[in-house]
Amino acid sequence: MNSKIGEFEEIVLLLVAAQHEEAYGLSVTKAIEKELKRSVTMSSVHTALYRLEEKGLVSSFIGDAEGNRRGRRKRVFVITALGKKALKAARDARNHIYNMIPKFMLDIA
Amino acid sequence: MKSNQDILPPKSADRFFKWYCNDALFDSIYGDLYERFLENIEANGEKKAKRKYWVDVIRFMNKHTLKRSNKTSQFNSNNTAMFSNYFKVGFRNLIKNKSFTIINVLGLSVSMAVCLVIILMINDQMGYDNFQTNRDKIYRFTHERTNGNVGLPIATVPMPIGERIQSDYSGIKELVRFRRGLNGEILQNGKAISLVGYYTDPSFFDMFSFELEQGDKKTALVNPNSVVLRKDIAEKLFPGKNPIGETIELSENGTYLVTGVLEEFPGKTHIQFEALASMSSVSTLEKDGTLKSVQQNWQSTTASWVYFTLNDGADLGSVQSYLTDYENENYDETTEYIVEFNIQKMTDITPGPLYGNQIGSAMPNFFVYGLGILALLIIICAAFNYTNLSAARALTRTKEVGVRKVMGARKRQLTLQFIVESILVSMLSLVVAIGLLQFLIPAFEGLQMSSLLSWDLKMTGKAYLQFFVFSIGVGLITGLFPALYMSSFQPIQAMKSIISSNKLSKVSLRKALIVSQFVISLVLVVSSTLVFKQVKFMIEKDYGYAKENIINVQLQGQDFGILKTELQKLPFVNEISGTNNIPNTGMHYDIEVRRNSPDEPMDFNYFSVDESYIDNLELELIAGSNFIPGQGEGNEKAIIINETAVKDLGFDSPINAVGETVTLMDSTIVSISGVVKDYNYMVLYMEINPLVLRYRSDEFNYAQVKLSGFDISGEIQQIENVWEEFDPNHEFQFNTFQGQIDEFNAFFFDIIYIIGLISFLSISIAGMGLLGIATYSIQIRLKEVSVRKVLGASVKGLILLLSKGFLKLFAIAMVIGFSLAYLGNSAWLNGFAYRVNFGIGIFLIAASAMVIIGISTIGLQAYRATSNNPADALRDD
Repeated sequence: MNSKIGEFEEIVLLLVAAQHEEAYGLSVTKAIEKELKRSVTMSSVHTALYRLEEKGLVSSFIGDAEGNRRGRRKRVFVITALGKKALKAARDARNHIYNMIPKFMLDIA
Repeated sequence: MKSNQDILPPKSADRFFKWYCNDALFDSIYGDLYERFLENIEANGEKKAKRKYWVDVIRFMNKHTLKRSNKTSQFNSNNTAMFSNYFKVGFRNLIKNKSFTIINVLGLSVSMAVCLVIILMINDQMGYDNFQTNRDKIYRFTHERTNGNVGLPIATVPMPIGERIQSDYSGIKELVRFRRGLNGEILQNGKAISLVGYYTDPSFFDMFSFELEQGDKKTALVNPNSVVLRKDIAEKLFPGKNPIGETIELSENGTYLVTGVLEEFPGKTHIQFEALASMSSVSTLEKDGTLKSVQQNWQSTTASWVYFTLNDGADLGSVQSYLTDYENENYDETTEYIVEFNIQKMTDITPGPLYGNQIGSAMPNFFVYGLGILALLIIICAAFNYTNLSAARALTRTKEVGVRKVMGARKRQLTLQFIVESILVSMLSLVVAIGLLQFLIPAFEGLQMSSLLSWDLKMTGKAYLQFFVFSIGVGLITGLFPALYMSSFQPIQAMKSIISSNKLSKVSLRKALIVSQFVISLVLVVSSTLVFKQVKFMIEKDYGYAKENIINVQLQGQDFGILKTELQKLPFVNEISGTNNIPNTGMHYDIEVRRNSPDEPMDFNYFSVDESYIDNLELELIAGSNFIPGQGEGNEKAIIINETAVKDLGFDSPINAVGETVTLMDSTIVSISGVVKDYNYMVLYMEINPLVLRYRSDEFNYAQVKLSGFDISGEIQQIENVWEEFDPNHEFQFNTFQGQIDEFNAFFFDIIYIIGLISFLSISIAGMGLLGIATYSIQIRLKEVSVRKVLGASVKGLILLLSKGFLKLFAIAMVIGFSLAYLGNSAWLNGFAYRVNFGIGIFLIAASAMVIIGISTIGLQAYRATSNNPADALRDD
């Protein structure tokens, strides 16, 4: 399975992992808006979640209906083992590149 | 202040979202959308939030959220496996609701049977000339008269058109002319056998696919005075003999040598003949005056038919342009008619539009359409019943729909299930209908007009296949609406029976169906009563002359005077008179009459009679005198006229007319010797016209014999004995006066029969439908009725309550139905000179029929519901 993930998907995956067993479409959207100060549409987050699910990086179950949702249940997403591996791989790749940066340059920053 | 939670997202957006969104994702996304919506209200206000909601809904449309087709569905299972279950459940349902099943099947099967007969009739009409291999290539010429009052196109054309077009245009491949005139009698073994046929060209066998059983197709019609016979005719003329080489003596048409016998036709053909003689025989017959001279006569437009085929590459356009030339060459203001020629394809002849002078009798296509419409009306009535009843019964099926949906049935599968059920009903009806057909077909074939048009209602394999397809079609159409309706139930609502309150209030469609059913039946009932009354009125009307105990003996060319002397020897013969025509049988002879010779001639009707005619028919002579007995031909200078003729000729009174002279035709001057009181001799939808009674014994066709009437059949037998001695060559042919008139009126009886049957059908179908609906709608109100009763409602009040809704429908149906019936029937009634009026009575009959049906269905059901013990209905709650 091709588990390459894009940048946006990575963010969504990170947030699913962060909001452990509490992540659903709207919560992730709001987190992106809050943490990254980035405007994002709910539908793109949902789409990213579905795509992650298709890649097997997250799994979903039907959750409860608490909150003002007119009785509609949430679809809660949790990260899978494969997802964790992918996150780790992405992070490792970043770290590796990060480490390649000469030290003196970082000092200035 | 209203809280944010009272503000709902735009309904249209919700609906749109629900429409496109995949069910599996719907809840989670909808919840998110709503949460977001509430936040947006807080942040940006209601208006902006609503707009954003819309934007979100639209943005959510993508390949994940869109509804999937069945193919990719996770529920994709083997649907066909469910069919056996559909049939099983369908059957159980039919058995469970016996009364509904009976109503549906009865209504559908009866109306289906009528439709099947009409399918057979249409098949029969479509079957004409199918065996002709060239049928798509054969054309014939027709003509229309642009002046003169014949509004119909005419199938005959002048005969020279054939030779001209063949020499003018090389594109004509084959051309066949038919000329009438081959009629006469053949004396065979002392009996006269009549023969009717055409003269035709030898190319007949090249163009048409008639095969010869004996004889040579190439030469059979070449030599003058050769004839080809139809097989059954050949067997009749030459029983047990080989007809080839025999000769037949055909009255004044001469002697013909039999050169061929046709094979039995493989199918029906619009060219109807018993024998075909060679066209080469015609010249001599035209020369010696036996036949009218038409071969080179462009003005004689009614004696021949011309058929042709074209060579490859030739086109009809150039033929048509030659026709225009011929029109201009041969017709102008000075000729009797101005003629316009046309071309008709053979496949358009039968069934086809009405033409004058057809080469065989054929049913015009509008008649087929008319029957088709009637059939459609009753099948619609019956289909309404099914639709109505199943929509009403939907309530009892809601739980089933709910359970099936919960178990994973899709809407499409449920629709299919209910359609299967309705097809089941229509199949069941088809079986019953085919059974009914065994009685209906003989009844239809017994009609006067079917023998006229020689209907052949065959139940072939093809017909059965058509029936099958037809009934599946009926099942599909009747089942579609209830199926879509029932399969749209939401499982939760279905299980909770919420539908009962809100969905059943939207029954306007059902109400419309009931109303239209009753409108149709009302119109038909009013019409059939009117037709019946009109015909009865016409038949029972006093014709103004006596016809009791009179029999009309056909003279068949024999001398009236001799027959009269012979018959007068019989003691029971009271009176004998001779005539050329029997009144009230649709035939009339015309004669031009002028009071003074320079006047414009007037068209009067005339009868040739003798001196006993007035006494025999008990006509009343109001002035002058009868023809003088014993004077014989001397009477030819005198005429007797009727009162209308007196008026039309401009005399003050009958007395003054007596002794005056008038001119008949061109120059015959006759004097009026008497005036008879007006009596009705015309077809009864026409007024009495001016009439002339002439003394012309050479024109007599009938002897009208008045019997004493003590033993009619014995007396007729004795007259027959006299006839046998008198003319052994012809069979004794007679009819009673009344019988002959009835025979002519049989057409009207046919119409009464058909309309009566169909209106009876439609009203019983409507009645059955009403019974079903009433039963059902009262059933579901049983609890309400019981509660009302417990609280003290009276039975009378309850019945009124339950029938109220139907009363309104009845009233609407009556208003629409009566106005339609009035408009429709006035149109045809106005064509009759003596007509019945609508009167309140006819509407009362129809209305009371409705009321009786209403009381016996709704009232009875309502009574049953109210007289029940309320405890029985309420016990379970």
